[in-house]
Amino acid sequence: MALDLFNLLFFPAGLGLIGAGLLYQWADRKLLARFQNRLGPRWFQPFADAMKLLGKEEISPQGSSPVLFAFLPMLALAGALTAALYVPLFGLAPVFSFPGDLIVTLYLMSLLTMCIGLAGAQTRDRFSLAGALRVFTQMFAYEAPFILALLTPSVALMLAGQPSSWQISELATAAANAPVSHLLTLPITFVVALVGLMGKLELPPFDAPEAETEIVAGALTEYSGRGLALFSLARAVELVVGLTLVTALYLGGVGSGPLAAVLFTLKTIGLLVVIVVLQTLLARLRIDQTVNLWWRIGSVLVLAQWLLLILYRVLR
Amino acid sequence: MTLTQKPLQRVEALLEPWMKPDKTGRPAGNRLDIWLTADDLLPVVATLVEDEWGYLAAITGLDPGVATGELHVLYHFAEGAAVLTLRVVVPRDAAEVPTIRPLIPLAAIYEQELSEVLGVAIVGAPARGRLFLPDDWPDGVYPLRKDFQLEQFNDKEQGGS
Amino acid sequence: MNASTTDRFVIPIGPQHPALKEPGHFEFTVEGETVIDATVRLGYAHRGIEKGAEGRNWTQSLYLLERICGICSHIHSTAYVIGVEQMAEVEVPGRAQAIREVIAELERIHSHMLWLGVAAHDAGFDSLFMYTWRDRETVMDLLETISGNRVHYSANILGGVKFDLTDEAAAAILKGIDFLEERTRHYREVVSQDAFFLQRTRNVGTMTREEALQLGVVGPTARASGVARDVRVDAPYIAYNEFPAQIQLLGAGDLEARFLVRIDEMLDCYRLIRELLAGMPAGELTAKRMPRKLKPGEVISRVEAPRGELFYYIRSTGGEQPDRVKVRTPTLCNMGSVLTQTVGHNLADVPMILVGIDPCFSCNDRAVSVRRAGRAEGQAWSWADLRRYGINYYRRQLNLDTDHRPTDLLTY
Repeated sequence: MALDLFNLLFFPAGLGLIGAGLLYQWADRKLLARFQNRLGPRWFQPFADAMKLLGKEEISPQGSSPVLFAFLPMLALAGALTAALYVPLFGLAPVFSFPGDLIVTLYLMSLLTMCIGLAGAQTRDRFSLAGALRVFTQMFAYEAPFILALLTPSVALMLAGQPSSWQISELATAAANAPVSHLLTLPITFVVALVGLMGKLELPPFDAPEAETEIVAGALTEYSGRGLALFSLARAVELVVGLTLVTALYLGGVGSGPLAAVLFTLKTIGLLVVIVVLQTLLARLRIDQTVNLWWRIGSVLVLAQWLLLILYRVLR
Repeated sequence: MTLTQKPLQRVEALLEPWMKPDKTGRPAGNRLDIWLTADDLLPVVATLVEDEWGYLAAITGLDPGVATGELHVLYHFAEGAAVLTLRVVVPRDAAEVPTIRPLIPLAAIYEQELSEVLGVAIVGAPARGRLFLPDDWPDGVYPLRKDFQLEQFNDKEQGGS
Repeated sequence: MNASTTDRFVIPIGPQHPALKEPGHFEFTVEGETVIDATVRLGYAHRGIEKGAEGRNWTQSLYLLERICGICSHIHSTAYVIGVEQMAEVEVPGRAQAIREVIAELERIHSHMLWLGVAAHDAGFDSLFMYTWRDRETVMDLLETISGNRVHYSANILGGVKFDLTDEAAAAILKGIDFLEERTRHYREVVSQDAFFLQRTRNVGTMTREEALQLGVVGPTARASGVARDVRVDAPYIAYNEFPAQIQLLGAGDLEARFLVRIDEMLDCYRLIRELLAGMPAGELTAKRMPRKLKPGEVISRVEAPRGELFYYIRSTGGEQPDRVKVRTPTLCNMGSVLTQTVGHNLADVPMILVGIDPCFSCNDRAVSVRRAGRAEGQAWSWADLRRYGINYYRRQLNLDTDHRPTDLLTY
C-alpha cells in the first residue's frame, strides 16, 4: 500500500514524472538552441519558469466562465498524469496495468489537447478563438493516423497469428522479444507515430495553433499564471508519456532490471533528439497544409503499412 | 542621357495642350515643371496614366508662406531619370484639389497625408479617420503650414478639451 | 444571427503584436481562416521630422533626417546630402562618393539580412532566423569598424564624408564579405529548395507585373514582379556611374521571388563592394567649401534604399534652414499592396505577405505628442522641454539629481 502510494505520488509517476518532464523539456529547448546557434537555457530554467508561473495571480478574463477557466488546466494535467500510470515510465513496470490500457492511455492523452482547445474557445479573445479553432482542426488531422500508428504493433501481432493484446506492458514485451525489430518490420508507422507525437505536442512544424507571429499565443493567450503553469506542466508530462509509449510499443525493453531501465530511458532520449532535429529543420506548416499532410499522406502511409503486413501474411 | 531626354521629349509631346510657355519650367536637366489649375489636373493625370508615362513618385504639399495666400501641391511623376512635376496652386483659405485615386490607387495614401498635414481638402475622397496623425489631434490644425505654432496647438488642445 | 456574421470576425494585428517589430495597426476581417477585408492605420511612429527639419539649419537637418530610420539611416542622409549639394552647386570628390557607395551597399546587405531573418521567423522557420541574424553581425561589425557605429553611421556630411576608408578597413571588409557571400549562397539554396519553406512562399501573395505597375510598388517588391525599376540603374547617383549596380529581376511575383530578388541583390552587393574597393579613387574626402546659406531653389533627389525608391524634395528660400523637406519612403508605396494582396489569403500567410514588402514603420511615419498620465489633454513638448527632460533623466539615472523637476514628467 505504502509502496503503491509512493509509486503514485513520487516515483515513477507524480512528482518524479513532472520533474522528468521538465528535464526533457529543458533538453528539448537546449538542443534546439544549440542547433540554432544560440546558448539556450540552463538546466533549471523550466523549473524556475514553472515555479514563477505557479506563484502568479491568474486573471480570469471577462466573458468567460471562471470555473471552466480554472478547471480546464487542472483537468489537462490530471489527464496527462493519469495517462502516465499505464505506461512503463523509465522502463519500469507501469503502476497500473490491465488488458486494454493502451486505448485508455490514448484517450487520456487527447484530454490535454481537448482542454487547450476548450480553454481557448470559452474566452472571447480573438486570438484564443482562432487558436482553439486551429487546435481542434489539427487534432482531427493527426489523431487518426497517430492512433492507428500506435495500434499497429498489436495489429501486426494479430496478423502474424501470435497472441495479441491491447495491454501496453505485453506489447512492450512482444516488441522486445520480436525476432526482427519493429523498426525494420514496421518502419513506416514508427515514423508516423513519432511525427504524430510532434503534432500532439504542437511542436514545430505543427505549431500553427500557437503561431506567435499570427495569433500571439493561440488558445492560451488569456492564460498568464497558474493555469498557464498547469498547461505547461501537462505538456511536459505528455512529452515523457508520449516518448515512453512510442518507445515501449516499437522499441521495447521494459521491466527487467536497472540496466533495462537505463537503456529504455536512453531510447526515449534518442527519440527526443530525433524530434528536436526535425524541429530545427522544418518551417511551420499552415493549418490547411497540416490537415493535408495528415489525411493525404499520414493516413495513407499507415494503411500502406497494414497492407504490407497483410500481403506478407498472405504470401507466406 | 537617353534615359533622361527620351522620356522628357515624350512627355512634352503628350502634355503639349497644357504646356504654356510661362507656365513651364526646366529647373534641372532631368526635370520638367508644369503649372496647372486644379481643373486641369485630372485630364493631365489621365493622359499620363493612359499612355503609361512613368509612375506617381510622390505628392508634395508646400506652404510658400502666409503672405502669398497660397498652397502648392506638387505631383511628382518619374520615369527613368526624368521627373515631371505638376504644380497645382490653390488658395490658402479654400484649399482643395480633386482626388486622382480612381486613376492611381496608390495616390490615396499620399492624398490622405496631404490633407492631414497641410489641410488641402481632397474632393471626391471618401471620408475616413486619420492615417498618420494621432486620433486626438485637434481639427483644423495642420502641422506643416508655416503659421503652425506649438503654442497655438496647445491653446487649441486645451480649449477643445 | 445568420451564419455569415458569426463566421467572420476581425483579427487585429497591432499596434503591439509579435509579428510586428514596429507599431502599425491592421485589422483583418476573416471568415474561418480566410481574410476577406483588410484596413491599416499608421502614424504610431510619427515624429514630425519633416516639420522638425524646417526649424534647423542645413547641417542639423542632416542628423535629424538620418534618424528617420534605424536600418537604412545612411540612405536617408545620402538622399538629403546629394540634394543639398546639388542646390549648393558643390562638387564632391570622387573618393567621398565611392565611400558613400560602399557604406550604402553594406547597409543594403545588413538590411536584407535582417529582413531575411524576420521573414523566416514569421514563416515559423526559426533556424534560418537565428543563422541569418548571426551572420548579420558580421556586416554590422564591419560598419562599426569603418564608422564606429553599428546603425547610425553618420558617414555623410554636407560636401563629403566624415571618415576615410583605411586599408585595414578595406581588408576587413573583403574578408567579411567573402564569408557573407558563402553564407548568402547557402541561404539562396535553402530558400529555393527547402520543401517545407517553399510551401509557405511559393505562389503565396503573387503580384503580377500589371498589378505591380498599377499599385505602384517599388524596390525589391516591384523587381520580384518583373518591374525593372531601380534608381541606382535608372538615375545613377553618387558613384553608381563609375561602379554600376546590376538590376536583379524576377518574374514570378510571389513571396519566393521576393526572397530570391533580395538574396540576389546581396550577391550583387558583394561584387560591387569588391569593385569599389579595388578601384577606390584617391583624393580628398570633402569639398573645398560648403556654403552656410543656400540660394533659393528646389531639388528632387531620388535614391534606391534597401526597400525601394526613396524620394526627397528639398526647397530653400535662401536661408540657413530648409523651407521644406518632403520625404516619401518606399514602405508607403508598398503598403497599399499589402492590403490588396492579403484579401483572399489564409490568415497564416498575412504576416508573410506583410513582411514580404519589408515594411519599415518608422520610415513610414515621421509630431511629438507625449501624453501625461492622469490628464485628459495631450501636451506637446518643445525641443527645450525634451532636452531638459533628457538631461534630467540621465541625472537621475546617475544619482546626480540636484534639481530634477519631479513627478509630472515622470508619471507617464
